[in-house]
Amino acid sequence: MPYSTPEGYFDSLQCRLSDIPSRKRRFNFTPYLALAASFAVALLAGNYILMKSTADQPASDEDIVEYLIESGTTLAQLEDAVYDY
Amino acid sequence: MQEQERFFNELVRKYSEQLYWHVRAMVGSHEDADDLLQDIFIKVWKALPSFRGDSDPFTWLWRIATNETISFLRKSRVRAALSFSRVDAEAERVADPNPFFDGDEALRQLRKAIAGLPDKQRLVFTMRYYDDLSYEQISEITGTSVGALKTSYHIAYEKVKAFLTDPD
Repeated sequence: MPYSTPEGYFDSLQCRLSDIPSRKRRFNFTPYLALAASFAVALLAGNYILMKSTADQPASDEDIVEYLIESGTTLAQLEDAVYDY
Repeated sequence: MQEQERFFNELVRKYSEQLYWHVRAMVGSHEDADDLLQDIFIKVWKALPSFRGDSDPFTWLWRIATNETISFLRKSRVRAALSFSRVDAEAERVADPNPFFDGDEALRQLRKAIAGLPDKQRLVFTMRYYDDLSYEQISEITGTSVGALKTSYHIAYEKVKAFLTDPD
């Protein structure tokens, strides 16, 4: 082979290569990062779909009546409001 | 896990030097070979759980190394194309004087001739000429038939011979 290597290269090479298992164990965040990323993506997608589905539909008459009943608005208040308007 | 680590260290101890020379013959520069060897052994460590005990560790290791080396050479060619340098200029770069080249002019020309071969031919030529592997071993490593390997080697040999006869 017409090549050479730096002095003591193969000793240092073996040390560096033998260190791979412990290095990989120390820095093996990849599965956790992937899990966190997929969770964030699912959350964002769900939020987006929810926002879009509620924003696109106008409230029906039933929704408005239900809202007024739940908010405790009386018929008198409604009549006043219509009259004022 | 400890068993795997022991086996991995055994592979490092037994084959890292031989594998370095194999990779070095393929890529030329010491820095590239060093980087590539790290990548190869990282792949080996990751693939270790799928290694079947009954297969030959040498063949398995060389198969991973071969795939990584070919992928590295492809990427180098793309990088060279993107930087508008020619492939033969890249071959000259790895063969031309560098601090870790020991050979005389004839060996430098041989190195240049090998560096100019297409990847598959370079691989077969290197495995035969430098690693002294049999066609059967190369066939097991590369998954190519012995007949196809013999043809590749013959073509590569003729190309190298022609280059050495007339380098220009």
